[in-house]
Amino acid sequence: MDELAARDTWLNRVHPLAKLLVTLACISVTVSFSKYNLVGLLVMAVYPASLFILNELSFPDALRRLRVVLPLVCMVGLFNPFFDREPAASFGSFTVTYGMISMVTLMMKGILAVLSSYLLVASTGIESLCYALRRLHVPAILGTQILLTCRYISLLLAEADRIVQAYSLRAPRQKGVHFKVWGSLAGQLLLRSMDRANEVYESMSLRGFTGEFYDHPKNAFQWKDAWYLILWLLLIAAARYFWR
Amino acid sequence: MSHIHITLKDVSFGYEKNKNILTNISFTAREQESVGLIGANGAGKSTLLKLLVGLLPGYQGSVEIMDTAVKKETLPWIRERTGYVFQDSDSQLFMSTAYEDIAFAPRNYGLPADEVERRTARALDLTRITHLRDKQIYKMSGGEKKLVSIATILSMSPDIILMDEPSIALDPKNRRNLIQILNQFTHLKIIASHDLDLILDTCQRTILLSRGNIVADGPTAEILKNQKLLEQHDLELPLSLLGRPQT
Ligand SMILES: Nc1ncnc2c1ncn2[C@@H]1O[C@H](COP(=O)(O)OP(=O)(O)OP(=O)(O)O)[C@@H](O)[C@H]1O
Ligand SMILES: [Mg+2]
Repeated sequence: MDELAARDTWLNRVHPLAKLLVTLACISVTVSFSKYNLVGLLVMAVYPASLFILNELSFPDALRRLRVVLPLVCMVGLFNPFFDREPAASFGSFTVTYGMISMVTLMMKGILAVLSSYLLVASTGIESLCYALRRLHVPAILGTQILLTCRYISLLLAEADRIVQAYSLRAPRQKGVHFKVWGSLAGQLLLRSMDRANEVYESMSLRGFTGEFYDHPKNAFQWKDAWYLILWLLLIAAARYFWR
Repeated sequence: MSHIHITLKDVSFGYEKNKNILTNISFTAREQESVGLIGANGAGKSTLLKLLVGLLPGYQGSVEIMDTAVKKETLPWIRERTGYVFQDSDSQLFMSTAYEDIAFAPRNYGLPADEVERRTARALDLTRITHLRDKQIYKMSGGEKKLVSIATILSMSPDIILMDEPSIALDPKNRRNLIQILNQFTHLKIIASHDLDLILDTCQRTILLSRGNIVADGPTAEILKNQKLLEQHDLELPLSLLGRPQT
């Protein structure tokens, strides 16, 4: 993820604030569509699709990274066909009910929201995002929380990696981790990652961190950022207006 | 500017109750002094250094840095003037690239962008890692991370440098460069290390810790020559004084 955010593409160079605002607008418009408005949602899919193409991001890669989240999001609408059996259209003997349509739109809303957020993080990086949030006057403590949570997750993963490696080097004949030591390994992992997170936080405060985020001078808000913002907002507004 | 010095008076500290890791530590380190902190594993070197930057609250006695007691209210002021290098680089570094991490402190101290750029470039240059500038930290080798850690505090232009095992993981050439950097820094530094040859090359004064007590404090040349004293406290003569080739 960090690596994607560190690339030097035109989208990555757009000011984080502009990207954050466009993403927020896109998600809120997407969610605001009525639950039977399939066409409107398909139009909204243009936003993530065009960014994926224009910014040369790999879609399969994104699916792989989001494989845990996406199924969860899709579960949300799963029961709608049972509640709402009123027929909407029929093709021969097959009847499409409003419940089926709303299931699909709910899933699409979820997927679009997740994809838009993914695009934001993949093109911006978490530090710049926190900086953008600060610019929107989100309280410093919230930005710090988000930042530290993200750091903590990567620390946790790195620590888990180390523990499993150390384990497998000394238990070379085993596949995976024996269930008897699961408990102690998990406990170790928690202790060690918390310790590490604490030290990282200490290191931050030793270097003057107080909850404010500073960004690159290269990232001053420029005309092209304003254009990016205005164009997308217009497009999103148009989509909302014409495909009500 | 106030006079640069570090003064400890009867400092005791323990992580757990009734179990002191440091007992009755007293010493003063003055401006332009460079102090080596040596002692066997678990002697309390890291603990002592952490105490100085207020990472371990709840000690007894008094710790003063530049006439300012180390306590919660004074920490921002003290930390702005003190550069601390962790024993473990993975604890020190937290941004995505070397540049971001080195620029972190100057940015936080509200310096203008061109000054941040200048200081970061200088720190990269001093540690000779300009080529690592935009490299992802999690992809770096142990020694590369150590060099970045050292650079992160050089960019702060501190008055006091505290380093915990700075030469660990460095190859001979980078270790020599580190010695050069340390010798160019003339304000006040305390270096904890098992690399006694490094101490010999960079510190005029040495403090020997043993089980949380200061058992010797004096000119480095005298203490590191004293085989009996060193062996009494589970240490050995530096290689260079044994007549062996230096690493
Ligand atoms: N977080 C902690 N909680 C409890 N005890 C600790 C903690 N950190 C260190 N200690 C104990 O304090 C003592 C001194 O540790 P310290 O890290 O200061 O030693 P050191 O001189 O730096 O050793 P080394 O040369 O191995 O780095 C050790 O006995 C250690 O077990
Ligand atoms: Mg130590």
